[in-house]
Amino acid sequence: MSRYAFLAILLLVVALGAGAFLLRSDSGEPIQASLALAEAMGGDTTGYARAVEVRDLIFPDDYGPHPGYKTEWWYYTGNLNAEDGRHFGFEFTIFRFALAPSDTASERASAWATNQLFMAHFALTDVAAEGFYAFERFSRGAVGLAGAQASPYRVWLEDWSMEGVAGDPFPMRLRAAEDGVSMDLTLEAAKPIVLQGDRGLDPKGPEPGNASYYYSFTRLPTTGTITVGERAYAVRGLSWKDHEWSTSALGDEQVGWDWFALQLSDGRDLMYYQLRRRDGTPSPFTNGILVAPDGTTNPLALGDVELEVLDTWTSPRSAATYPARWRFRIPSEDLDLQITPHMPDQEMNVSVRYWEGAVRIDGTAGGEAVTGNGYVEMTGYGEGSDEEERGRRGPGG
Amino acid sequence: MKRLLWKNSLRYLFRHPLLIGLSVLGVALGVAVVVAIDLANTSAREAFSLSAETVTGKATHQVIGAGEGLDERVYRDVRVGLGVRDTAPVVEGFARAPAYPGRTFQVLGIDPLADAPFRSYTGGVGSDLDLSLFIAQPQTGLMARPTADALGLALGDTLALTVGGVKQSLTLIGLLDPGDDRSAQAMDNLLVVDVATAQDLFDMPGRLSRIDVLIPDDAQGTALMARLEAAVPEGAEIVRSAARTRTVEQMTRAFNLNLTALSLLALVVGMFLIYNTMTFSVVQRRTLVGRLRALGVTRREVFVLILGEALLIGIVGTAVGLLLGIVLGQGLVQLVTQTINDLYYVLRVRTLDLSPWTLAKGAALGLGATLLATLPPAREATNAPAGAVLRRSQEESRVRDRVPKMALSGVALGVVAGALLLLPGRSITVSYGALLCVLLAFALLTPAAVVVFARVLRPVMGRIFGILGRMAARGVVTTLSRTAVAVAALMIAIAATVGVGVMVDSFRETVQVWLGYSLQADVYVQPPSLVFRRNDASLDPAVVERLTTAPGVAGVYSVQTIRVTSSEGRTDLVAIDQGPNTRRTFRFKKGDPDEVWAGFQGRDMVIVSEPYSYRYGVAVGDTITLQTNQGSRPFAVRAVFYDYGSDLGVVMMGRETYDRYYDDPGVAGLALYAAPGQDVGALVEALRARVGDAQEVIIRSNRALREASLDVFDRTFTVTIVLRLLAVLVAFVGVLSALMALQLERARELAVLRVNGLTPRQLWRYVTMQTGLMGLMAGLFSLPLGLALASVLIYVINKRSFGWTLQVDVSPEILAQAVVLALLAAMLAGLYPSWKMARSNPALALREE
Repeated sequence: MSRYAFLAILLLVVALGAGAFLLRSDSGEPIQASLALAEAMGGDTTGYARAVEVRDLIFPDDYGPHPGYKTEWWYYTGNLNAEDGRHFGFEFTIFRFALAPSDTASERASAWATNQLFMAHFALTDVAAEGFYAFERFSRGAVGLAGAQASPYRVWLEDWSMEGVAGDPFPMRLRAAEDGVSMDLTLEAAKPIVLQGDRGLDPKGPEPGNASYYYSFTRLPTTGTITVGERAYAVRGLSWKDHEWSTSALGDEQVGWDWFALQLSDGRDLMYYQLRRRDGTPSPFTNGILVAPDGTTNPLALGDVELEVLDTWTSPRSAATYPARWRFRIPSEDLDLQITPHMPDQEMNVSVRYWEGAVRIDGTAGGEAVTGNGYVEMTGYGEGSDEEERGRRGPGG
Repeated sequence: MKRLLWKNSLRYLFRHPLLIGLSVLGVALGVAVVVAIDLANTSAREAFSLSAETVTGKATHQVIGAGEGLDERVYRDVRVGLGVRDTAPVVEGFARAPAYPGRTFQVLGIDPLADAPFRSYTGGVGSDLDLSLFIAQPQTGLMARPTADALGLALGDTLALTVGGVKQSLTLIGLLDPGDDRSAQAMDNLLVVDVATAQDLFDMPGRLSRIDVLIPDDAQGTALMARLEAAVPEGAEIVRSAARTRTVEQMTRAFNLNLTALSLLALVVGMFLIYNTMTFSVVQRRTLVGRLRALGVTRREVFVLILGEALLIGIVGTAVGLLLGIVLGQGLVQLVTQTINDLYYVLRVRTLDLSPWTLAKGAALGLGATLLATLPPAREATNAPAGAVLRRSQEESRVRDRVPKMALSGVALGVVAGALLLLPGRSITVSYGALLCVLLAFALLTPAAVVVFARVLRPVMGRIFGILGRMAARGVVTTLSRTAVAVAALMIAIAATVGVGVMVDSFRETVQVWLGYSLQADVYVQPPSLVFRRNDASLDPAVVERLTTAPGVAGVYSVQTIRVTSSEGRTDLVAIDQGPNTRRTFRFKKGDPDEVWAGFQGRDMVIVSEPYSYRYGVAVGDTITLQTNQGSRPFAVRAVFYDYGSDLGVVMMGRETYDRYYDDPGVAGLALYAAPGQDVGALVEALRARVGDAQEVIIRSNRALREASLDVFDRTFTVTIVLRLLAVLVAFVGVLSALMALQLERARELAVLRVNGLTPRQLWRYVTMQTGLMGLMAGLFSLPLGLALASVLIYVINKRSFGWTLQVDVSPEILAQAVVLALLAAMLAGLYPSWKMARSNPALALREE
């Protein structure tokens, strides 16, 4: 999926609103910057590298950062079980933003000078306890505080890190901890790399350059430890990795998106996203891919998927109403799935609110029963109410 | 009846407006000086703690380096390696804004993404921070909106700055909105920039000023502390922020205390004044009091009545004094700030902080002093039996009987003062207590001195001025209870000016001598520094190179000053090159020059300045531990040298030793020797041209530096001199009122003289002679007292405050000045009464009230 629009918002939030981190309101609460999607899309792309054409992604180089592009992220999600069956979901993402098109750092004596900004999100869903923990961090990409490198593979923000155990991307070690919630996982790749879109070039709109480079590892057997408070759990399960970079702008009529990463019990994986338009219909630049157990891929187009919202959930915090259960059908594959969040409240209460959560899958494939787990991300739902809220608080919070 | 008494009292006060007015003025001036000094001190302190609070924020601890700054990798190790997130990097310093003369900005370099737990600046419309400008663009910063408004700056404007003489600029990309007046004041002088910008501005690549840390005060905090301590490298250390702020604050403690003490001196003089006025008022109404007593008014009632009158004067005087103090404080706070900036640290005081506590203290002092000074006359009026009160002569003879006793107690008090001064210890307060004892002792000796002096002088006066002269001399003794007080008040006031004058002169002379031998080179070079006595900027290496290789330069010696942590606290460490002349630029109080200079370069030894030795009790043979880049290292103290450059004291080591322990090639100043035959003026010009625009540096000839140093010296003593003048003013008012009261009181006596044929002109001469005689006595008595005060100030108080040895230098001018001043004041004071008496009808004066 492309979370580029989301990233664009974040970028703007970070660039303009991170004043929240310095300029706090009287109450001591950081000012929550919230921006309408359309506002975020006004970002100036002049001077940045653009994803204009299909090119060969070269590894290991492309595992690393692409600082000329405005946004980039390394994105891990997964569903894990403890030995007693306790279910956990996790999201661990490190984002990179370019604050300015050119880096003047090389002309400056200070090593702190940079145009690279990093942000990380770490969220853990503890289904049995109905616990959802979400954390956010920011740092500049300088003096070793945060950064990304291809070889040896390492992406980090302070002591949160994604690191190749032997320098290569796999086996991969993910480590993050905050406020008594921590995670130390080792990931192996069960399937080869998946290049999204057209050999890794994933268009987001009709204009050339309005696209991203995007690849995934859709099935990563995972073992490790999750700690919540005093208790540590040995866990195992499946994770998913996305890595995407772009300098993109979103069309006026697009307000948000729904993204699905599904891992089925029959060995198949499925990625699907749709950009939602103002009138509620999906944009034509909707995309998806079906990955067979052997790694062969089959792209999905707008007409291939039938998505129906069966239930909704309203956040007590943001008052935003999100879809909370779906019927997901691919008639051409004879796939009929029901997708249910492991728990309804997996709303990320960070700089920009979004819903990102572990989901459970039940359904049939070719008439056979199929189950599975996955992750769903939904953005652009809370904005109306957020804006009202902002209006009440007055400009700048 | 009571109302009648009070009415009578008020009527009396209103009938003597001039005298009462002078009393009120006396109290007012005394209170004003005390309040003004206190306000100035408090404001400076408040401004300091505000700005310290602003930049320290909520940090409980700070990680600081061995010398100037800390390797930035320590921050990465702590934050990334240890995962300690309640940390924030800080790079700070000061920058001048040439477009706004007198403006020195405190520049705070922070990482906005790490700073939130430490400092919060409230933001309003337009105050959102644009990180793409703040972090990614060089030379951008934030300023408080009121400051920007005051300077006429808007968002996007560029502010020209100089840092250590190097031209810099900063573009305003955001305005901070202070929530209230207090934070407005705290942020008045603040520029907030990114760490990167700050490193660029202050030329500190790779280094931080410090790391701010939040360590909770519990078991977790203890564990965290232990982890941090294990992680910081050799040389760096973790200190409490409060302790660090306090150290800086304490630098000015002695300075502030001395100002306060000098201001109290003005109040003491004021007290004499009140005493005198109240005595006069009692004496004047002696008959009235006698009659009242005869009519059955109790002693208690009379006592209360007199105290009530005094209280009235006290209240009015104190009120006027408080107002006057506030006005005076506005001026003094600038002088105090200037001194702090010259000597200690950069400070900007925007407003006078009208602390209610100070005003209350001033009021209490004013009223208390008034009541205290009134007690003796009130008792005098009430204790005597009713009949005796009516007779004046009895009172005077009683006083004369008491003269030897008073003299004896004066001597006793003098002994006490001596004992206090000899007492081992360092308390400045005790020293001032002793000083007060000395004053009182002399005051108690005054009556005896007056009697003796008048007796000696009577024949002389008679020979010169005839019968009038003899009468004048005699008159001083016959009204001893009044004259002695007046003479004592004048004496104390004049002595205070002599004491302070001699002290300042001695100090100046000592500094001049010191400058003479310590400045041996021909040309001195340094970057403009913010605090005159502290080199806080470095010379650009290119500039050093250009100067060193300039034609006409025969020798170059560098000096570097840094602040390090030592076993004694934060210490100014000075590293010097050694040349053939170095030896001549130091004079040792203790230590063997041959031994010191033979091993000074390279060996682990230091010499310390006299104030340092005194302040920290470090003597030759001791060892002090300095934080170096290789951790704590012991250095043997081999000598104590005279130095008047810093009252905080310095530790000095050879440059070679310094280079072994500190990873710092910096040079804060250069001393250049001209080649033989080279004209120094021409060399200075040539050097200036050679440096060009690379860095603004101050290149001065030996003489120019000497003059500049003395200018600063004089500037720092401006406050003292202002205080001295104020004390003179109070004294003058005191003498005026005392002598005037005396002469007015003697209206009847003078009327008798008039009736007996004394012409107005003769009367004028008589009165002038008498007051002049008293002035002369006061002037002469003030000399020994003044010298005694000077000795206490120089040998005890200065020593205890700053640790300096001063060469006493008594200039005859100061002494002559004192006597002339006293004579003049006294004769001026005699003008009005004699004018009045000469014009009034003697018959009227003869009539009893």
